[in-house]
Amino acid sequence: MKYLSQILDIALRELGIIVRKNQIYGFCMFVFPLALVLFFTTMLDDGLPQDLPIGVVDHDNSTTSRGLIRNLDAMQSSRVVYRFASITEARNAMQEGKVYAYLYIPEGTAAKLLAGRQPKISYYYTMTCLAAGSMASKDLKTLGMLGSMAVGRAKLSAKGATSRQIRAALQPVSIDAHMIANPHGSYNYSLTTVFVPGILMLFMALLSAYSIGMEMKFDTGKDWLARANGNMVVAIIGKYLIHALAFLFVIFLYQYYIFCVLNFPHLGGVWSIVRLSLLQVAASLGFGIFAFGLMPSLRMSMSISSLWFVLGISMCGSAFPVMGMDAPLQAMSWLFPLRHYWMLYQTTVLNGFPVIDVWFHLVALVAFTLLPWFVLHKVKNAIQNYVYIP
Amino acid sequence: MSIFHNIKAHFADVLYIWRHEMVKVVKDEGVLMFLVIVPLGYPLLYSWIYNNETIHEVPVVVVDQSHSALSRQFIHDCDASQDVDVKYYAEDLDEARSLVSRQLVKGIYLIPADFATTISRGEQGTISVYCDMSLMLAYKAIYQTAMVESARLGAGINIKKAGNYTKREDAITAQPLAVDEVAMFNPSGGYGSCVLPAVLMLILQQALALGIGMAAGTARERHRNGQLIPDDDPHFNNAYRIVWGKALCYGMMGAVAAAWLSMAVPRMFSFPQLADGWTLLWMLLPYTIASIFFGMTVSCLVRYRENVMLIMVFVSLPLLFLTGVSWPQSSIPGAWQGVSWLFPSTFGARAFIRINSMGASFDQVFPEIRILWIQAAAYLGMACLVYRHQFRLARKWASK
Repeated sequence: MKYLSQILDIALRELGIIVRKNQIYGFCMFVFPLALVLFFTTMLDDGLPQDLPIGVVDHDNSTTSRGLIRNLDAMQSSRVVYRFASITEARNAMQEGKVYAYLYIPEGTAAKLLAGRQPKISYYYTMTCLAAGSMASKDLKTLGMLGSMAVGRAKLSAKGATSRQIRAALQPVSIDAHMIANPHGSYNYSLTTVFVPGILMLFMALLSAYSIGMEMKFDTGKDWLARANGNMVVAIIGKYLIHALAFLFVIFLYQYYIFCVLNFPHLGGVWSIVRLSLLQVAASLGFGIFAFGLMPSLRMSMSISSLWFVLGISMCGSAFPVMGMDAPLQAMSWLFPLRHYWMLYQTTVLNGFPVIDVWFHLVALVAFTLLPWFVLHKVKNAIQNYVYIP
Repeated sequence: MSIFHNIKAHFADVLYIWRHEMVKVVKDEGVLMFLVIVPLGYPLLYSWIYNNETIHEVPVVVVDQSHSALSRQFIHDCDASQDVDVKYYAEDLDEARSLVSRQLVKGIYLIPADFATTISRGEQGTISVYCDMSLMLAYKAIYQTAMVESARLGAGINIKKAGNYTKREDAITAQPLAVDEVAMFNPSGGYGSCVLPAVLMLILQQALALGIGMAAGTARERHRNGQLIPDDDPHFNNAYRIVWGKALCYGMMGAVAAAWLSMAVPRMFSFPQLADGWTLLWMLLPYTIASIFFGMTVSCLVRYRENVMLIMVFVSLPLLFLTGVSWPQSSIPGAWQGVSWLFPSTFGARAFIRINSMGASFDQVFPEIRILWIQAAAYLGMACLVYRHQFRLARKWASK
């Protein structure tokens, strides 16, 4: 009972600091995260890049070439906006950032196609933006296939083949793709769900280091410790109870928005989401306190936390996979809480697989939560004896 | 007082403030970290992370229920491709699914029992591909390999049926219309070559803003009234001189960082480098200047120096998106395009990618460079305004 009332007392004190004293808490706990959610969900609302500007260099000027261009224009991610007179002009436009790709149809394409002399069309696309480049390349592959099939289809249907026969004759083996849990290949589903939690974890770690550092800076730490009667565990639980509740509230709000309003895929169900959120908050707060314990200085602990978590967004391997990195980096990826968060997210929440298959990532997040245990006495010592030097 | 004397006093003040700021920066480890260590070290780490550029040999599991020559040929071909590695064979889909669940494979190829029979009957055979969508790059590797190999298998079947005499006829049967696919400026489609140029430019702006913000925060904390501008030093008597003096100090730091980020780092990790030296210089000059005055403007808005870190870290990922490197510029909603105009990094990164990765000439990036100069001028004006305000505040406090 004694401990509980102490925790409540410290929590109320912390609430006072957050609400009255320092507005930055309000910004980092509510304004920034909600702004981020809005930013990413509106930015990636299309799911896939659509209607990318594309140019054509048509030297053939035949019905066939115009048909190809129309086909290209009709595709979901391409829009033909420029017609160039020459390849040089098209390349200049690409370097000016006006088009992402251009199609070159040389003179005599239609005639060669009908004569069976295998004409060649060329498609140039820039890979300086991977999302645009890969969409352009995908459209190109379809276009080439359609172009090739057009001849055969005309011939077969003239012979009286049924559409089923034509399909089998033109493409004997077809691929039936099942994109599990993200049937449209939406970037919104795969990027928003790692960037928003990633930055939220960054804020949690930063603020937990910040709030102890501020106690030291304004020399209020002794009062904080006195309320816990010198018991560090009680002091920390009391202090971070409010942080945890505030962040959990924001995280659930975010999850309600993406899962219930925007209908992001979540084959794992509610319990997997709640479990992951609890671990996420606990591990991030733990990391921040640990960072402060390692370097009991406001600015150093915050710098380390922010650099570490920003790096974590790359190291979690959601964009460039960890299996593609060098071996030392693969090992180092274990030191980033976001990596474990993301592994748990994609297996248990997105795909709905059993948590036992990724239990080691769960254990890792628990370990991050317990890290402050090792530095409790250092934090206490810092609060009691250190003097803040600007 | 003569004009000559005035100018001399002006320069003396500017130089004094330059030196004064420099000494402060070197003595403050927090500032030094962001102005020196972050721009020097961070890009190396990022480059290392993305250095392998592409992924190869993505593990997949095959469920071959057909057990035919055709199915085995398909599996062989996929295994031989550079992107996919057939790591396991499973009896049924459930077993394969559990391998995905344990993160041992990223996708499943299912060849149904009637695959070869259907094709022999002259109908269309189907191979099912199940992809774990958590990794876009792995999905692309698995799906595209299946597409390419199934097309190859189909072409082989068609060639056999056609009964041609020559190899040339076979080639035309397989592909009546040839398509030449040319990926430009980053031919291997490397992740690092694509993202890193933008990251490098962003690091320059963020590091300068963080360093300048930290230095301003320290100055406030050391001041007895919590003011940015010292009131006991006769050299700090004019807001414009303070702006110039400080800008010169940060300009030195920025110039070194910009050279390192734009020339040394891409060379060390062999990222594309088609930049023409003078074009690069003409782009980096306004970008560095705009970033410095942007940083100085932001630094006046924060009360505690730690707060600048919270704000700059928060915007860094959205800013990377606004440059149009992760998400195409043409697909960015109009409102966010408008927001992106506020930040030098948007145009700095776009211009740098085009100069460095695409070999654009000065004329081709002129629109971006023009905007960078406008931003530099606008942020200079803003910096002067906010510093004049700070200057008056400091005076008011001092007279109290």
